[in-house]
Amino acid sequence: MDGGKVTLGRTAGLYLGAAVLRLALFTLFPGLADLLTGRVEISTPVTSFKRLQEGLFLYDHNVSPYDGGVYHQAPLFLPLFSLLPSLPIFTYLLYIAVDILSAGALLKIADSGEAGSSALFTSPRREKRWSGFVIAAVFLFNPFTIATCIGRSTSVFTTCAILHAISRAVAGAPFSAMVALSFAAYLSMYPLLLLPPLLLLCYDRQLPERAIKPGMRSAATNILVVVGVLAALFQMSYLMTGSWEFLPSTYGVQLTLSDLTPNIGLWWYFFIEMFDSFRSFFLAVFWLHLSCYVGGLTIRLRRQPLVVLTLLLGIFSIFKPYPSISDASLFLAMVPLYRHVFPLMRYTFVIAAVIMYTTFLGPAFYHLWIYAGSGNANFFYAITLVWGLGQSLLVCDLTFAVLRDEWEVERPEMAGKDIRQI
Amino acid sequence: MRQLLSLLLLSLVALFFAPRASAADYHEQLVLRPLPLSALLASFNFRSNTTLSAFEAHNFRFFPRSLGQILQHAGTRELHLRFSLGRWDAESWGARPWDGAREGGTGVELWAWLEADTDEEADRKWRTLTNALSGLFCASLNFIDGTRTTRPVMSFQPEGNHPNSAMTNVHLLYGVLPHEVVCTENLTPFLKLLPCKGKAGIATLLDGHKLFDASWQSMAIDVRPVCPPGGECVLEMEQTIDMVLDIERSKRPRGNPIPRPPPAHELKCDTAKPYHSGDTCFPADYNANQDWSLSQIFGKTMKGTCPLTDPNVPPVCLQVPNSRGVYITEGATEKKNLDLVSRCYEIAPDTPEFEMVLPRPESSEESGQAVAVQEVVKPETPLLYAERSFTGHGQEHGGVQTILRNPSPDTKVEFIYMETLPWFMRIYLHTIEARIEGQAGSSKQDPLIQEVYYRPAVDRARGTQLEVRMRIPPASTVFLTYDFEKSILRYTEYPPDANRGFDVAAAVITILNPNPNATSPRFAAYNLRTTSLLCSLPTPDFSMPYNVIIFTSTAIALAFGGMFNIIVRRFVAADEGPEMTLTAIKERLRKRFGGLLQKYRGKGG
Repeated sequence: MDGGKVTLGRTAGLYLGAAVLRLALFTLFPGLADLLTGRVEISTPVTSFKRLQEGLFLYDHNVSPYDGGVYHQAPLFLPLFSLLPSLPIFTYLLYIAVDILSAGALLKIADSGEAGSSALFTSPRREKRWSGFVIAAVFLFNPFTIATCIGRSTSVFTTCAILHAISRAVAGAPFSAMVALSFAAYLSMYPLLLLPPLLLLCYDRQLPERAIKPGMRSAATNILVVVGVLAALFQMSYLMTGSWEFLPSTYGVQLTLSDLTPNIGLWWYFFIEMFDSFRSFFLAVFWLHLSCYVGGLTIRLRRQPLVVLTLLLGIFSIFKPYPSISDASLFLAMVPLYRHVFPLMRYTFVIAAVIMYTTFLGPAFYHLWIYAGSGNANFFYAITLVWGLGQSLLVCDLTFAVLRDEWEVERPEMAGKDIRQI
Repeated sequence: MRQLLSLLLLSLVALFFAPRASAADYHEQLVLRPLPLSALLASFNFRSNTTLSAFEAHNFRFFPRSLGQILQHAGTRELHLRFSLGRWDAESWGARPWDGAREGGTGVELWAWLEADTDEEADRKWRTLTNALSGLFCASLNFIDGTRTTRPVMSFQPEGNHPNSAMTNVHLLYGVLPHEVVCTENLTPFLKLLPCKGKAGIATLLDGHKLFDASWQSMAIDVRPVCPPGGECVLEMEQTIDMVLDIERSKRPRGNPIPRPPPAHELKCDTAKPYHSGDTCFPADYNANQDWSLSQIFGKTMKGTCPLTDPNVPPVCLQVPNSRGVYITEGATEKKNLDLVSRCYEIAPDTPEFEMVLPRPESSEESGQAVAVQEVVKPETPLLYAERSFTGHGQEHGGVQTILRNPSPDTKVEFIYMETLPWFMRIYLHTIEARIEGQAGSSKQDPLIQEVYYRPAVDRARGTQLEVRMRIPPASTVFLTYDFEKSILRYTEYPPDANRGFDVAAAVITILNPNPNATSPRFAAYNLRTTSLLCSLPTPDFSMPYNVIIFTSTAIALAFGGMFNIIVRRFVAADEGPEMTLTAIKERLRKRFGGLLQKYRGKGG
């Protein structure tokens, strides 16, 4: 009883601290928000707050924001932000609240212990884990998360929806999990690829009294929920904007990459330099590559669907068309759930070094290219390559650690011994 | 026999009417106006009329057939074409000639009213028109595509008289090519449209070397239907060339054009300066250089008059104070106008050459400044000064700032500011702001920005169109600013000189008539255009498409391969499972292929 109270107090303190820090950054450095909003590492064409403001301005003046090349975000942001009072403090409070909601969802995922022992698998190392408080703190005080929040990138809403979908699935509430996932998919499309592992997670974690036993029936019900919610959201967007032109302007841009603004991903420079006749072929290949991980990981890691979700989030933050550090912060928020397999990872130092290195050199090289004129586009491109490689090393290493953890259940005597793969 | 008779009669009638018809249907005039700072504005104007009925019957007389057929084919009601170079220096030269109505922004500008039932048909006709004009004028007008075409809403109104019934299905299209370099190959077809083809009359003074060496020049073609009250409607074609020549520069000899410092005794010094002495010299005001002759500044004399021109319109006019003396060739007569600042010359039809010399005023050497003011007519103050520039640095974000100054001490000026921007400048309209210099913002009851029409750009499909109706209080300066973002293009979309930058078309400012009435029904009281801008975009490395494809593919292959490896292969202890050393591989190969080798050897042996 007492312990619970203390924990509640600690958590409230954590949220308060995170909120005060963000509010202080917003108010004490008034130029910081706009500076971060302009950074390509934080704002992409599909999440930029400045583009949202432009869309909002056009929406308020009865010009269709989708009849132009600037606004590529979901239509429901427009009424949400136009209902907000125009003072900037309300926007700050909204973003802070969204971050804290995300942290709350993360805390529930961590406290459920799903990472260490799922329905079909229990890790022998599960005792060695961090509490939800620590994991939420790591998320809230991660510089990437703070920068995303101050930069007011709309990807925080997607992050929040994804974390809530997972936390509801872990809590055994498949319906609300599917609704949250539909919102995430509606806002930025790629979370739809998380559906297969999330279905498995829902199935594994359903409460005994409300269980739908045959797997196919459970999956079909959940898919129907997603389709229904998405259809309702699209219908609302249609009624609001009066036409379907928002579809090509929001999802079409992600599919065809017509806006080549630099970001930390691998797509933009590749498609700047791509020969025109091969553009559509490589677009198809890149999307196919992004979605091919879903099937393989879901099957191979059937016993731990939460791991699949984590790894997919990592893969998306490398290979999606418009990634930003917000996607990296979501992945890095999920990684500490696997504290128990950290000793099995082989390249932690290299990974940490690469991420630090690119974090500092990325902005510097971008400055050299765009402002100083003493470097060219290859400088920033090289850093995005290293960033992508560093993150993919982290994803691969985490996969290796998790699989070895699974293997050591069959071969408990191999713990701590050298192994190889054949 | 009857046919022959009627033919004879017809030709007689034609002979009888021809001179009268020509007298009214074509005239040309050159107006020379010396400007301060040793500049000279030369305005050439050629106007030919044809009745609409004759035009529709393909009966071309003064109207050029080549252009007429294009207009008929593309269903063009009214056409305006501009070729311009340079910058009009309003601060020293004052108001623009023709109130700015015959002027375009740097490059080529074209706007036309086309007859079409639908927008698609209008676009098709527009494409026909631009392609045909491109061939006719040797200009890249065919590059006016969807991204460079707009449909202005407030800025342009037809100049001609169109019947109201015809205006219902007429579309206005406007295209601009700011990057186009206007040059001699555009002048030659321009002169060919004239009835005298540049062989006689004032057009003989036009020479590519001088015209495109001018500080500012604008060639204009305007075709519009005009219905005089009580008369038959005519199609009027007006060709105009305005140029501002630097007298000093034009007087350089053709054979030896390299400027050299003049010897000390030829320097014009300002003797009023206290430090003036034998070895110090402050250059005198350039006004002191207003002495020239036609052959000096145009490189040749005028070859008589065009015989087709209306004799009632004097071919050459000069705008200098009446006090100055002018020498002219024999056969020409001077006629001073009542306004005391202009005079015209009538030239007898048989004069072979016309030359005019404007000498330096005699008294200017002695009394300096006082007389210099008298040398040129004081330029008229324009209604508005406009200047546009980029703000910010770097190749990512930027801003556009237009400084608009109303010089009038007591009248407001209301105008429409129009910009057509390329799609790769992504403008943020929510950042648009107008403020009066020295004040924080715009007042609520009388805002500077009255009305905005905005059509955002679509990537690779159309440009931005921004029209702003503004009102500026008297004697104030207004800053109009907005932000934009520079987008990065596919590497094939950059021109070969990618780092030079991309030209952004001039902003068109149309000043509205403050009190329109029957005598001044013109929609626009005055037009002006800002200079064009040069926007530099971020560039990729053009030399390495293969490298980028290879590097990115390698990164993806590493990630995918690593993942695939981990997922697909089994774990074993380091000392378990099959050995994978070199000898083991050799052994396995021998096991598999050894038998085959034996067989082959056996056969061979």
